[in-house]
Amino acid sequence: MGVTTVERRRTVASPKRRRRIEWLPYWLVMPSLLLILLINLYPFATGFLYSLRDGTMLQEGNFVGLSNYVALISNSEFHHSLLFSVVFALGGVFGSYLIGMALALLLNKDMPLRGFFRVALLVPWIIPSIVSIISWRWMINDQTGLLNLALSGLGLEPVYLLSTERQAMFAVIVVKIWRSFPFMMLSLLAALQTIDHTLYEASQIDGAGRWQSFRFITFPHLRDLSIVLWILMTIWSVNDFETPYLLTGGGPSNATENLIVLAYRYTFRRNDVGSGTAIAFVTLILLMILALLLLRRQSSEQESQGENNE
Amino acid sequence: MSKQTRRRLSRWGLFFLTLAIVILVNLPIITMALNSLRTTAEIMSERSFWPKNPSLINYQYVSSRTQFWTFFRNSLIVAISGTAICIAAASLAGYALSRFRIKLTAGYSRLLLMIQMFPIILALIPLFILFKNLGLINTYFSVIIIYTVAQLPFATWMFRSFFDSIPIDLEEAAQIDGCSRLQAFRYVVLPLCAAAFAAVTIFAFLFNYNEYLIANIFLRSEATMTIPVGIQMFMQQYGTDIGNLMAAATLAMIPTFIMFLFVQKYMLYTAVGGAVKG
Repeated sequence: MGVTTVERRRTVASPKRRRRIEWLPYWLVMPSLLLILLINLYPFATGFLYSLRDGTMLQEGNFVGLSNYVALISNSEFHHSLLFSVVFALGGVFGSYLIGMALALLLNKDMPLRGFFRVALLVPWIIPSIVSIISWRWMINDQTGLLNLALSGLGLEPVYLLSTERQAMFAVIVVKIWRSFPFMMLSLLAALQTIDHTLYEASQIDGAGRWQSFRFITFPHLRDLSIVLWILMTIWSVNDFETPYLLTGGGPSNATENLIVLAYRYTFRRNDVGSGTAIAFVTLILLMILALLLLRRQSSEQESQGENNE
Repeated sequence: MSKQTRRRLSRWGLFFLTLAIVILVNLPIITMALNSLRTTAEIMSERSFWPKNPSLINYQYVSSRTQFWTFFRNSLIVAISGTAICIAAASLAGYALSRFRIKLTAGYSRLLLMIQMFPIILALIPLFILFKNLGLINTYFSVIIIYTVAQLPFATWMFRSFFDSIPIDLEEAAQIDGCSRLQAFRYVVLPLCAAAFAAVTIFAFLFNYNEYLIANIFLRSEATMTIPVGIQMFMQQYGTDIGNLMAAATLAMIPTFIMFLFVQKYMLYTAVGGAVKG
């Protein structure tokens, strides 16, 4: 990929067009840039100022320095949300990656109606979040839900997934995995289909088993993509508002409140704009640190691999 | 057993395994759609999977006694306008990213990646205060402009990868024939990308149509509410009226399905195309 980019750059920046400054790209990017300035960068800057004040929706409030941030250190609701965000993201990423990988490997095999199955498995990803939540709430509903009917049919005790804290956390993560695995599956399947089949034939001749051909051919091929997918899914999971908020409203007793739901509640329910924006900023900083760490690790691994190959 | 029969057996074995998984994965949706054909009393009492006397009575109720079609109209207005502006801005920027490799485009590309990471709530709090002071709460405009920007990174990357796949020689030939750079874009590149435009359009539309958080913050009156916000209100107001809720949710899903069937073959582009190219 890197090579083609460089080649293209050479063809485009041919000396003929280098003579004077070309204004066209500036004009082309201008509309998008203005929109981003207004909708992303302006709120980013003012939001930071809000987080340094003790304002409400109506009043700007006084300048309080970093005390909104300092207060978070001893705020037990914040601690819980931070912890839940981590658990939620880890569960979401690994659950959806493992299921997505398994289904991608399955769909990569030859079978009747494969194209239809591929589309049918994308349904959880494409439907509106509110629709998936309504359907799930009905499944795991306390008394009459399909899950409890099935359990009582088997002679087992019913489970109250949405009304006990631990089980609600579990339910939110399961629904998150359900909503995210199709993206993983689709991306991994696309990459699987580019693997050269002769590699597998060669490894079979060399006596490799199924696990070994996965370990030494399939996975290395998917590794770079996998890291990108992990980063993306982590960002999306940490930033997810709709799954926990619509499924449980953050409850019971704030058990399923991640940082975004917490920021939302502080700002729009408690009218505490300073703390709400401070929580949102902390979330952003944590995400950036995480992304930097993962990307650095990826590039250093690539370098060491390059050295090994030489 | 001959090798061929064994292969055929394994093909059908995989088929039934996958079929079972597909049904299991879609069970919540299937149950919801089936329940929408029963009255709430039947949902509570019937223990069978299939409805005994399916009827459209819930749909009648939702369509004549609630604001569902108002929500639907609002959703269409917001989703279509947001998509249109986004497509216009993103196709130009995507063209710049694809054809001009200069500091500006590299920096812009990085900016897109950064804002992709922003927790959207971070932008929504100050925007809510700003729009409130400007009297823009409960207006379509507030949501349309935010949707436009929310879809920009993804749409720009998709356009860029489509433009990358069109050889630059075509434009250079047009320029030799006397076209300006923009005319070459308009008359040579765009017609080649008609399918790509359709795909990006439908994707952006789908995201906007499904979106809940932004609409929930900015559209609070029933006259401007979109479908997800409206249905969430149903969920709170008629929490016990399961039949109608299921019908409204099933109806809300139908436009998504129709749109999706048009673009499912482009799915692979979105899934990885943009992400890996960064």
